[in-house]
Amino acid sequence: MPTNPSPRNPYQPTPMRVLRAYYESTDRSLKTLELSFENQVDRVAFFQKFNPGQFCQLSVFGKGESPLGVASAAWEGDFVRFTIQRMGSVTKALHNLKPGDTLGMRGPLGNGFPLADWKGKNLVIIGGGCAFSTLYALTKHVQHPKNRQDFAQLVVIYGARSSGLCMYKHDIQSWYKRDDMEVHQAIDVPEETWDHHVGYVPDVVKQIAPSPVNAVAIVCGPPIMTKFTLPALVSLGFPPEAIYTSLEKRMKCGIGKCGRCNIGSKFICKDGPVFSLAELNALPADI
Amino acid sequence: MKYILPKHELTLLLERWSAGHAVLAPQKAGAYTEFLPFGAQSELCLEEPHNTRYPPKALFFPQSEAILKYKRNTGQLENIEVKPEKRIIFGIRPCDAKAVALLDTVFAEGENQDPFWLARRAETLLIGLGCHEPCATCFCTSADSGPFNTEGLDALLTDLGSEYLVELLSERAAGLFDGLAHASPAQQKSAQTAQTAAEHAMPKAFELEGLKDKLDRVFDEEIWAQLAQSCLGCGVCTFLCPTCFCFDLVDETQRDTRVRNWDTCMYRVYSLEASAHNPRPTRKERTRQRLMHKYSYWWDHAGKLGCTGCGRCVRYCPVGLDIRAMIRKAGAYESEVLHAN
Amino acid sequence: MTELEKNIRTEAERLLREGLVDVVVAFRKEDAPLRPQPAFFTRVEDLENLVYDGLCANNLANYLTRFPDETRVGMLVRGCENRSVNALVVEKQHSRENLTLIGIPCTGIIDWRKVVEHTGEDILGYEDRADALTVRARHQTYQLPRQELLHPSCQRCIHPNPLSADILLGEPLPEGDPAFIRERVESFEALTRAERSAYFKLEAERCIRCYACREACPMCYCEECFVDHNSPRWTESGTSPAGTHAWHIIRAFHQTGRCTSCGACERACPMDIQMTYLTDKLGKDMWDTYQFETGLDHKTQPPFAAFTLDDKKHFQAGGAQS
Repeated sequence: MPTNPSPRNPYQPTPMRVLRAYYESTDRSLKTLELSFENQVDRVAFFQKFNPGQFCQLSVFGKGESPLGVASAAWEGDFVRFTIQRMGSVTKALHNLKPGDTLGMRGPLGNGFPLADWKGKNLVIIGGGCAFSTLYALTKHVQHPKNRQDFAQLVVIYGARSSGLCMYKHDIQSWYKRDDMEVHQAIDVPEETWDHHVGYVPDVVKQIAPSPVNAVAIVCGPPIMTKFTLPALVSLGFPPEAIYTSLEKRMKCGIGKCGRCNIGSKFICKDGPVFSLAELNALPADI
Repeated sequence: MKYILPKHELTLLLERWSAGHAVLAPQKAGAYTEFLPFGAQSELCLEEPHNTRYPPKALFFPQSEAILKYKRNTGQLENIEVKPEKRIIFGIRPCDAKAVALLDTVFAEGENQDPFWLARRAETLLIGLGCHEPCATCFCTSADSGPFNTEGLDALLTDLGSEYLVELLSERAAGLFDGLAHASPAQQKSAQTAQTAAEHAMPKAFELEGLKDKLDRVFDEEIWAQLAQSCLGCGVCTFLCPTCFCFDLVDETQRDTRVRNWDTCMYRVYSLEASAHNPRPTRKERTRQRLMHKYSYWWDHAGKLGCTGCGRCVRYCPVGLDIRAMIRKAGAYESEVLHAN
Repeated sequence: MTELEKNIRTEAERLLREGLVDVVVAFRKEDAPLRPQPAFFTRVEDLENLVYDGLCANNLANYLTRFPDETRVGMLVRGCENRSVNALVVEKQHSRENLTLIGIPCTGIIDWRKVVEHTGEDILGYEDRADALTVRARHQTYQLPRQELLHPSCQRCIHPNPLSADILLGEPLPEGDPAFIRERVESFEALTRAERSAYFKLEAERCIRCYACREACPMCYCEECFVDHNSPRWTESGTSPAGTHAWHIIRAFHQTGRCTSCGACERACPMDIQMTYLTDKLGKDMWDTYQFETGLDHKTQPPFAAFTLDDKKHFQAGGAQS
């Protein structure tokens, strides 16, 4: 007989406010919102639990919720960053928010990247399109002096269809000047002022040929990119236990209750969204 | 503790309970039986071999429930508190009671417990009526349960003809049967005989032993396309199922309310993503998901079978699909085709 | 096996063996008592499972829209199913050339729930004969008169004969009286508005939005139903009265000029909700206003799906009378 006298309502969002809002992509399909907490106690609780790779359910009241990967590291400030692709009714409403507007947030949700398992390893971060947002959070986390010493080499490979669609352009420009990491950007077709890689991410990965020795690879991108990048990494010698990805599926509760986002017996919202390829190989083809 | 309740004293007992509880009991609502509030005019419907149509999970997990109220413009939230009255659900069948206990693993355990479910569970007693004459669509004995299974019940009644044998199962129900005579050894023996007879009257629907592993192994096989062929893709099986719990969260704009509604993996839109990609594009994948969830993934999540053999999905499927036959065929495919090769 | 079943199997076998069809859509043996199931036969050896009797309760035309146009479909059709097939062909859901209709004059579909109600018992098996239904229940065997067990739509049936079958198995039956449906609608129309509203709410509010009615209906084949559209959202999902009322009313309207009064929706409904009184009303209005009846042939355009310059304009303010 279950007893729990006054349980928290897990469907109740935390009140948030838009601090900053700006477009990332020249076609305005990608917009970044940086949100601040209305209540101090919520902020403290959030950052106590937060880990890069986690996501939140953002609520636009009257429209619904949308699961979005957190695109900032805790040390960046008292805000939480999300980069949102405009797709449906909720993301459209999120795009229409302005600084000062209120909304709701449930999170942090999901398992996040297993940073403790990656201590001392080389990190090969491979992202494509708007899925790069949580990898950006991961990179920002690793870059902090306190965290940097926990990891060995840092290589970031980030592809977008065109330079206009590239997110976090300004910050990424500064990465080229850093001596604690390697950055490789790619776009699908040549552009006049582009002097980085040209080609699809799986091919760029094969060209760069990162070493699998003492390394983990983290891949986040559209399904087509992931489909070809994972085998490329395997052919470079990365074992399935050392390849990680972040999955997506239609979600509602975000806490493993509504039954919807499962792959086999795993819920993407609760047991994921981060999975190793070894874990995925053990799951049925349900994505 | 075992008591005897003569059948002609039943309504008196329910009336006595009504002084301190809202009593719900199976009664005819139009063409079929439903759990309705017990009152002076109530005509109880306890003799039917089959179950109520609508599952009693709805008494804890309503099909549509407001879980949040908000003000669209200010973002001001209003928490919804559920303050249920004390209730006694009388005449619930063991398959349905076990299903409520199974749903505790979803809503009442772990990190994110559901306050709406918990509030109702805390205020409700489940008094069960065992099935001395299971019907042709019942298969609880094959689904890790039985017509006199006690899981989830505070007390269990066994029909002995002109009286019921009452077995008290929890402290919470102790006071309900005060004043009743104790059951004699002969009456207890009668009850046992009736129970055993009912269990044996149900043919084996499928072999549960080893079934999970077999289903896991046939996941990628074409057998699922065959099994799903005539399926309509409606929600009858999942909505009438006492253990199905999938739900949707929707903002009802006109009412400034976020509502939780039962949902079903059988709809195409259930897994449809905004990009238009659908991981389960045809009925084959969706039927497979339903059977795998109940007969395989539930073991991974809760260490239990996600079905109690109540038979509603068999009875009310508009095209007569029988989950027992589907499970048998999937299992047989593994043994006869996969394994053999 | 009845004579009729034998003939159906023979025809089905011929069509498959001679490569005239890719699939035969018919019924197969029950798994649960009283419930023979729709089935798709592609192999001759599977035809031994083919059955046909009054408990074959589904409108098989529902499955037509699952097959791409190139698939040559053989289908068992009774009166209403043939009309549904015609309506689907008119809506270009399958080409008539790629259809072989095995027609059966229909003596009516038995409602399995009526069988349970009549006996009050758990049913184990049955046998459907022309005059009676033999029902083997747990405690005794019953001989039940068929007519009383028919689904109401069948008791009111006007066209039991398949109107455009390629192969006809059985003697044509007398057509029914159109007054059957008309009277039913008129007696409902004669109620006061309050009575009609109360009846509608009583029925509709049992709805659990399972959409079995929609999925069982041959004419509901939209890839995205209006209830699933969310930008804008037309109806509330869940069981709120507003959403449920809208569901029933709008679905009925979407059936105008398309519904064949087969009753598959009511037979599919797990909550025994009445719906055909709404669609029959719209059907009567189509007849009274446009002299149109759904599915009588596979060529005539339904009034609401076609526009010609000489359409009636009497409803336009100041419009021409025609």
